[in-house]
Amino acid sequence: MDLKAAEKFRGFFFMASLFCAFFVIPATVHADEENSKCFVCHGKVGFANPLKTGKVISLYINFKEFSETVHGKKLCTDCHTDVKQIPHRNVIGKVNCANQCHFLGNPSGAPETVKYIEYKNSIHGKALFAGNQSAPQCQDCHGKHNIFKPSDLRSADARENIPKTCGKCHLQEYVDFNTSIHGTQFKAGNKDVPVCTSCHGEHNIFKPEDARSTVSAAHITKTCSACHDKVQIMEKYGIPTEQVATYDESFHGIAVEFGVKKAANCSSCHGYHDIRASEDPGSSININNIPKTCGKCHPGANVNFAKGKVHINPKSKESGIVYYISKAFMVLTISTMLVLIIHIMLDLRKRMQKRKENRE
Amino acid sequence: MNEKNDKDLADNGNELRDKVRKQIIEELREKYGNGYKEEEVEKIASDILEGYASIKEKALLDYIKNQPAKEIAKMERAKADAASHGILAEKEGEDFFVRFGINFRAQHMLLFSSCIILILTGMPEKFYYTGIASFLIKLIGGMGTVTFIHRIGAVGLIAMFTYHVLIYTPFTRQGRKDFLELLPGPKDIFDVIQMIKYFFGYATEKPKFGRFSYIEKFDYWAVYWGCLVMIGSGFLMWVEVESINMFGKTIVDICKEAHSDEGLLCTLAILIWHFYNVHFNPKVFPMSWVWWNGKISKEDMIEEHPLEYEMIMKDKKHRGKH
Repeated sequence: MDLKAAEKFRGFFFMASLFCAFFVIPATVHADEENSKCFVCHGKVGFANPLKTGKVISLYINFKEFSETVHGKKLCTDCHTDVKQIPHRNVIGKVNCANQCHFLGNPSGAPETVKYIEYKNSIHGKALFAGNQSAPQCQDCHGKHNIFKPSDLRSADARENIPKTCGKCHLQEYVDFNTSIHGTQFKAGNKDVPVCTSCHGEHNIFKPEDARSTVSAAHITKTCSACHDKVQIMEKYGIPTEQVATYDESFHGIAVEFGVKKAANCSSCHGYHDIRASEDPGSSININNIPKTCGKCHPGANVNFAKGKVHINPKSKESGIVYYISKAFMVLTISTMLVLIIHIMLDLRKRMQKRKENRE
Repeated sequence: MNEKNDKDLADNGNELRDKVRKQIIEELREKYGNGYKEEEVEKIASDILEGYASIKEKALLDYIKNQPAKEIAKMERAKADAASHGILAEKEGEDFFVRFGINFRAQHMLLFSSCIILILTGMPEKFYYTGIASFLIKLIGGMGTVTFIHRIGAVGLIAMFTYHVLIYTPFTRQGRKDFLELLPGPKDIFDVIQMIKYFFGYATEKPKFGRFSYIEKFDYWAVYWGCLVMIGSGFLMWVEVESINMFGKTIVDICKEAHSDEGLLCTLAILIWHFYNVHFNPKVFPMSWVWWNGKISKEDMIEEHPLEYEMIMKDKKHRGKH
C-alpha cells in the first residue's frame, strides 16, 4: 500500500513538474518575451499616431507600470486579438472586455461578475447600445493598460480617483462637487465623505428620474441615510442624526414614501452635488436662501419660511411649543378615554346586574 | 305623586264599576222585568259583579305571573304614566315622539359621512408606517388621492359646522332652543354624581334627564371643540404658504401636531364612546334608529328623558285647555 501511494505521489509530482516546465514557466517567460516585441515600439516615450484631423493619439505604454497591473502577465495579443503581424498594418479594433474574457463561465479564468449585465441596463450601457459613441465603456472608467485593483491608489476606480474619473465627462458636476462640503472634505482626505459612486452606484447607474436609481425621489432618503443616520459617523462632525427620521415623519417624507414625486426629498432642499453646510452663505439652506429654496415648490414663500426649525421632532423638548402641545394632547387623550371607558364599563356592569335581578 | 295616582286609579275603577252595574241591572230588567223585585235584581247584579271582579283579578294575577319581569315594569310604567297624564296607553308601543327634525338629522348625516371620509383618509396618514395604512393608501390610489379625498371630507365638515353655528343655531327656533338646552349647567354635575351612585348601588334610580343628558351634552361639545381644532388647524395647513408667510413656520408645525393628535382623540371618542352609546350598548344594539327617522318611543322617552317628557305633556295639557 505504502509503496503504491509513494509511487502515485511520485507520478503526480513528475507530471506536475513536467506541466510547469512545459507550460507555466514558458508562458510567463514567453509573455515577457512576446510582449517585449510590442514594447520595442510601444515602449518608446512619445510613440504616437498623428491622425489626419490633426489629433494625435498616444500609443506609448509604460511597460513597468503595465507589468504591475492585474493584466501584467497577459500577452498583448490576448486582448488585441486582431494583431497578427509586426509591424501591424491593419486598423486595430476596440477590445471588448465583456465578450472576450469577462463573461459568465469564461474558460480563461477572468473574474466573472454580473456587473456587465448591470452596466448593459444602466444609463451608460443603454446610451452606448443606442449608438452614442461618447458613452463610457469599461476602459473609460477602469483604464486600458493601467488597470489596477480598486484598492490600489493608481487605479482609476480607487476611491481617491473616482471624482476625477467621472469628472472626465461630467465636468460641471465635478466642479460642483469640489466646492461642496463633501468635496472639500474629500480633498482634505476625509474617508467618511461620499464620492460619486457612493450615491450613484457603479455599474447600475440610472437617471435620477428613473425609479430604479439610487438617487431617484423614491430612494434618495435611503441613500443619504446610509451615512446620515449613523451616529458613529455623524457624531464626529456634530451633525444630528434624527434628520432622516424627522423627514420620514414629515408631510414631505410621507408623501414621497407613497409615491408623490413632486414632494420634496433631501436633495430638493439641500442640493446634490453642491451640498454645503448651512452656515455657508452659498448653501441652499442658509437662512438667507431658505425662502428662495422653499419658493421653488411653494411660490410666494417669504422670510418667515426661515423662522423655526425644519426638522422637527415633537417628542424632543428642543421643539419647544410643539413638544408641549404634543404632551398636552397625550394627557388629554389618555385621561378622556380613561374616563369614558370607565363610564362604559360601569354602565355595562349595572345593566348586567339589572338583567339578572329581573330574571330572578 | 304615587298616592295621587292610586286615588285616581281607584276613582277610575269605581266609576267603571258603577257603569257596569247599571248596565247589568238594565239588561236584567229588560229580560225579566216583570218577574223579579227591585232588590233581587240589585242583588243578582252585585253578585255577578263580584264574581266578575274576582275572576278578573285572578286572571290578571295569572297573566302577570306569566309575564317576564321586563314586561311588568313596562306595564307598570305605562299604567303609572297613563294615570298621571290622563292618557290611556292603548296604543302602547306605537306612541312615539319626534326627537330630531329632518334638518338636524341631515346635519348629523353630513357630519358623520364627512367624519368617516376624514378618518379613513387621515388615520393612514398619521400611522403611515403600519401595514394596514399602506394597504389603505395604496387601495385608495396613492397619497395624492388620499389627500384629495381628505379635502373633500374637510369641505363637508366645514359646510356642516358653518351652517350649524352661523345659521341653524341662531336662526331656527329648534336650533336656539336646543342650544340653550345643551349649555352645561350645575344639574349636569349632580346628574353625574347621581349616575355614579346608581352605578354602585347607592341610588335606586338613574338621574332624571331633560332633553339632553350630560352624555349627549358631552358629545355635542366634544364635536364643537373637535371641529374648531380640526377645521382651524386643517385650514391653516391647506393654505400653508400664506400661513407661514403670516405667522412663521412654527404655526404649521403646531397645526400639524394638533391636527394629528386631536384627530386621534376624535376617532377614539367616536369609535369607543359614541359607538357604545348608540350602537353596542345592549339596549340599542345593533343601533339606535333615531339618526334615521328621528323617532323615539314613548317608553324610551320616559326612561331616558323623563323631564322633557313631563314638559311636553304639560304643554299638551295646557294647550288642550285653550
